[in-house]
Amino acid sequence: MNPFAYTRAASADDAVNGIAAKPRAKFLGGGTNLVDLMKMGVEAPETLIDINRLPLAQIEQLPNGGGVRIGAMVRNSDLAEHALIKSSYPVLSEALLSGASPQLRNMATVGGNLLQRTRCYYFYDPAFPACNKRNPGSGCGAINGYNRIHAILGQSDQCIATNPSDMCVALAALDAVVRVRGPKGEREIPFADFHRLPGDTANIDTNLAPDELITAVDLPAIPFAARSHYLKVRDRASYAFALVSVAAALDLDSSQQIKAARVALGGVAHKPWRARKAEEELTGKTADELTFRAAAEAELAAARGYKHNIFKIELAKRAITQALSTVAAVS
Amino acid sequence: MAEGNILGPARNRVDGKAKVTGAAKYSVEFEVPKCAYAWPVDSNIAKGKITGIDTSAAQKSPGVLAIVSHLNAPKPKEPGAKESRDSGHGIRNEERVPFADNEVHYAGQYVALVVAQTIEQARHAARLVRVSYAPEQPLLEMEEAEHRARKPSKNHDENVQLKTGNVDAAFADSSLTRIEQTYSTPTETHNPIEMSGTIAAWEADDKLTLWDSTQFVKGVQSIVSRAWNLPTENVRVICPFVGGAFGCKGAVWPHVLAAAMAAKAAGVPVKFHVRRQDMFTSIGHRTPTQQKVSLAATPDGKLKAMRHVTNTLTSTVGQFTESAGARSTGVMYASPSIWVEETVFPVNMSTPTFMRAPGECPGSYALECAMDELAYALKMDPVELRIINHADNHPVKNVPFSAKHLKECYQVGAEKFGWSKRNPKPASMRDGELLVGWGMATKTYPAHIQGAAARVTLKADGSATVQCATHDLGTGAYTAFTQISSEQLGLPFEKIRFELGKSDYPFGPVAGGSNSTATVGKALHELAEALHQTLAQLAIKDPKSPLQNQNPQDISMVAPGRLGLKTDSSKSDTFIDILRRVRRDSIIVETPLKTEQANKNWAFQSWGADFVEVKINPVLPRVQVTRAVSVINCGRVVTFKPARNQIIGGVNMGIGMALMEATEYDPQTGLPAIRNLADYHVVTNADAPVIDVAFVGEPDFTFNPIGCRGIGEIGIVGAAAAVANAVYHATGKRVRDLPITLDKLI
Ligand SMILES: Cc1cc2nc3c(=O)[nH]c(=O)nc-3n(C[C@H](O)[C@H](O)[C@H](O)COP(=O)(O)OP(=O)(O)OC[C@H]3O[C@@H](n4cnc5c(N)ncnc54)[C@H](O)[C@@H]3O)c2cc1C
Ligand code: SF4
Repeated sequence: MNPFAYTRAASADDAVNGIAAKPRAKFLGGGTNLVDLMKMGVEAPETLIDINRLPLAQIEQLPNGGGVRIGAMVRNSDLAEHALIKSSYPVLSEALLSGASPQLRNMATVGGNLLQRTRCYYFYDPAFPACNKRNPGSGCGAINGYNRIHAILGQSDQCIATNPSDMCVALAALDAVVRVRGPKGEREIPFADFHRLPGDTANIDTNLAPDELITAVDLPAIPFAARSHYLKVRDRASYAFALVSVAAALDLDSSQQIKAARVALGGVAHKPWRARKAEEELTGKTADELTFRAAAEAELAAARGYKHNIFKIELAKRAITQALSTVAAVS
Repeated sequence: MAEGNILGPARNRVDGKAKVTGAAKYSVEFEVPKCAYAWPVDSNIAKGKITGIDTSAAQKSPGVLAIVSHLNAPKPKEPGAKESRDSGHGIRNEERVPFADNEVHYAGQYVALVVAQTIEQARHAARLVRVSYAPEQPLLEMEEAEHRARKPSKNHDENVQLKTGNVDAAFADSSLTRIEQTYSTPTETHNPIEMSGTIAAWEADDKLTLWDSTQFVKGVQSIVSRAWNLPTENVRVICPFVGGAFGCKGAVWPHVLAAAMAAKAAGVPVKFHVRRQDMFTSIGHRTPTQQKVSLAATPDGKLKAMRHVTNTLTSTVGQFTESAGARSTGVMYASPSIWVEETVFPVNMSTPTFMRAPGECPGSYALECAMDELAYALKMDPVELRIINHADNHPVKNVPFSAKHLKECYQVGAEKFGWSKRNPKPASMRDGELLVGWGMATKTYPAHIQGAAARVTLKADGSATVQCATHDLGTGAYTAFTQISSEQLGLPFEKIRFELGKSDYPFGPVAGGSNSTATVGKALHELAEALHQTLAQLAIKDPKSPLQNQNPQDISMVAPGRLGLKTDSSKSDTFIDILRRVRRDSIIVETPLKTEQANKNWAFQSWGADFVEVKINPVLPRVQVTRAVSVINCGRVVTFKPARNQIIGGVNMGIGMALMEATEYDPQTGLPAIRNLADYHVVTNADAPVIDVAFVGEPDFTFNPIGCRGIGEIGIVGAAAAVANAVYHATGKRVRDLPITLDKLI
């Protein structure tokens, strides 16, 4: 670990000013990802700006039925257990509870979770010489290496890493909006534009500027999100990252016709993968297994696997079908 | 079943309170004045030469005291790694002194060690060390190492290439039912929660103390003292607690010698606590195996031939071999012909070592899956097939098994599990949408015993301290030895203080091969006899003793704490009275170390049977083990609770082996791609089923005077096969390469 300075921000402005003044600084949320990466030598910030005391830990209903605002410092456990989230957005609560362990969720913040980095072995362990994300231009160790947890959608030949977050898959399905504050003021980033595909800039995970602070995440009001579900497929019963996960919500009429659908996938791409093709395929159809499977096929048509992860293509199709069946069965 | 006969009392752990309150000190937790910290620099190539080590930036980094590498390391001599492990000489599976030269033999090899005042300073400076290499083409795969493959004739004095009867003839006989399949297991890494670690403190040029997390304090002492050319007693090794080991702390690995070298170079005590990631490369692992098993049986299920061909990897700086065939097919069933072959392929990977039931565990996985396949081929119940082929005699050594109650294990296990309700047809049983599978397997593990010595200090208040340089790996050994001491010496359990984990104490062998309870138990039995004779000598000379002038040969313990005449127990005297009358506060009695002579007239093995239920969602087929029954025949169970813990832990480890454990390597660099506990999956609580453990049989007094055969390893044996067989029963799919992750069932 490199020597680093530590400061504590008293306000959001203080935090933003601090980071603007020190380009090699980083915000410290729960620290469950950043500190780990610093110990591994992947991240080496010169200053840590601790934002744990910022008053950003509220969950509030927005006026006029406008949805819910979640402060960036809300802990993952608190968000998962919040009554409003459990009743109106069960997919988000379930996604959070499927992630990590209780101890980690007690520390992890919404802002930090949005920015957690890939678990690609080659990225996480600097003993590996090749990783374009860690060291641009060095190559991709995973493409011809051990790539069980890697991407099947939207990857480039520069990087086949996946985004590991469960929470973000639910947020993608829910069309969340990320509220950020930078030296030039506040802006809103639609969730679909928050994370990036690797292209030839695998080193850049998101469209957040390095000097911007995430202050909140807004969830729009989606009445049918009460009928939603998160399905996580992994290698053991708990405490494992997703091989594939699905966040799904369905708006059904009384004759089981699909009025609207939300589907997002985790574990398959460099960003939480909003399954728009599947959604299109679902809309207007009868909610049954055939429809669900057809939607899954449509979404995965462009998928491409590697030596150790090719199974994810079929797995993702099955997971989509299963998740949608579960949602359809919710009364 | 006569449980009363074999089950000792269900003692709570004597060290339980110290552990839960944090008072128990593990080796690297000792506070040694002026102690500095070491942080390693590892090679990230698998083979080649170090061409340069630039330490200029690291040297200038704050707090740095020394940087040790092949360029400057104090050079201990090679301490004779190859001597037999039973001799008390200690074990080295990696036979290379660290920093010996500029050669790199595997990725993850320590190439330098930075010593600094704080651990943070050491870690930072280690990152500033620049090592340059001239890489060479490494051998990483079995196929690549073909030209260097060898067939060891023995593994620790035991034959591993076996041939009895006429195997070829049986396999040529078309009237027999024959199956032949290849099974493979991946590299598995022990990953105890406490990482290995050593604090080395030179008190003088020729005096060294090591606080080392080890399964063998006397072995560490022997190796380190010989490496530095010191009288044995000048090296002291201290290890009162071990936070799990599973075999990875049995040998002396590079970090132990490196800590001593670094302490010499830095002139202060040095702590080298191995990093989790180095637990995957520097302290051994279970080598991957490929096993071809062929079986031939008559239509009514009688085995006529068994063949087991095992290929495993070892490193180029060690010779460790995993004798999967000899230790499973070589003992398990009565077959008139058995052919076991074993080939080892040296590659540029770190050295493997024993991991819980080395040989028996992967071997039984392959054999017990093959037996299941044979049962299906014969349309026979797998339990019945095993009963038909039950071996009363060792199938290769041809001597009877002592106190074997395997049939009882099958019977009790089947009953507890409800096996008779099993529909043998694959994919026929359901729980709602879930596929249900029931599988079983036989377990076996040899009973090992070695030589040990012990010392007791008996006080006139009736309390005693007993010492032996043995170990508690977290298994409950403190409690078991306290129990045995209490029974054998004849003193109340609460009055015994058992001390272990110090090389100053009388000899104890490596805590490996499930030998400790049998070995130390026997030593305690001998110690009790010696104590009682010493007390008898005092009594017969004492005019006030009812035993005055009796022949000491006629005297023995007639009740706890009381000596008396064997022929007339009304003539007796208590330990306390004997001591008090001669005005002695205490007496000390010590037994010498004797080499244990193997009893060649018998074969000693523990036995057991596992029954396992799995449930699988057919769409997303992750396997969940929902319940298990494990019935064990291991002679006497000294104390029930820790023994049950051992079986539960072993079966869970077997479930992990079956379903998730695998250390995967990067094919390009030879580094493990998986080397942390987030990526290396072991069972979590959510994966662990309720496991019903039962013990059956009788004490095995032919084996040792305590009647116990050891219990640490047998728990894992067979468990993976039982799970794999249950998966086949649930799905109709036979997965023959572990772990059975869901992609293999899609
Ligand atoms: C063993 C293990 C298992 C895990 N398993 C899972 C799992 O199954 N599923 C899953 O989804 N996650 C899992 N996680 C990851 C966990 O969810 C993340 O580590 C956590 O969400 C990160 O949050 P944090 O607050 O600790 O972030 P930090 O580590 O504090 O920060 C992460 C990054 O975000 C930046 N940051 C933090 N807050 C802000 C802000 N407000 N504005 C701008 N930048 C900010 C930091 O500068 C840093 O770059 C696991 C983690 C571990 C260690
Ligand atoms: S997949 Fe991406 S993160 Fe992984 S090695 Fe390749 S470039 Fe690096």
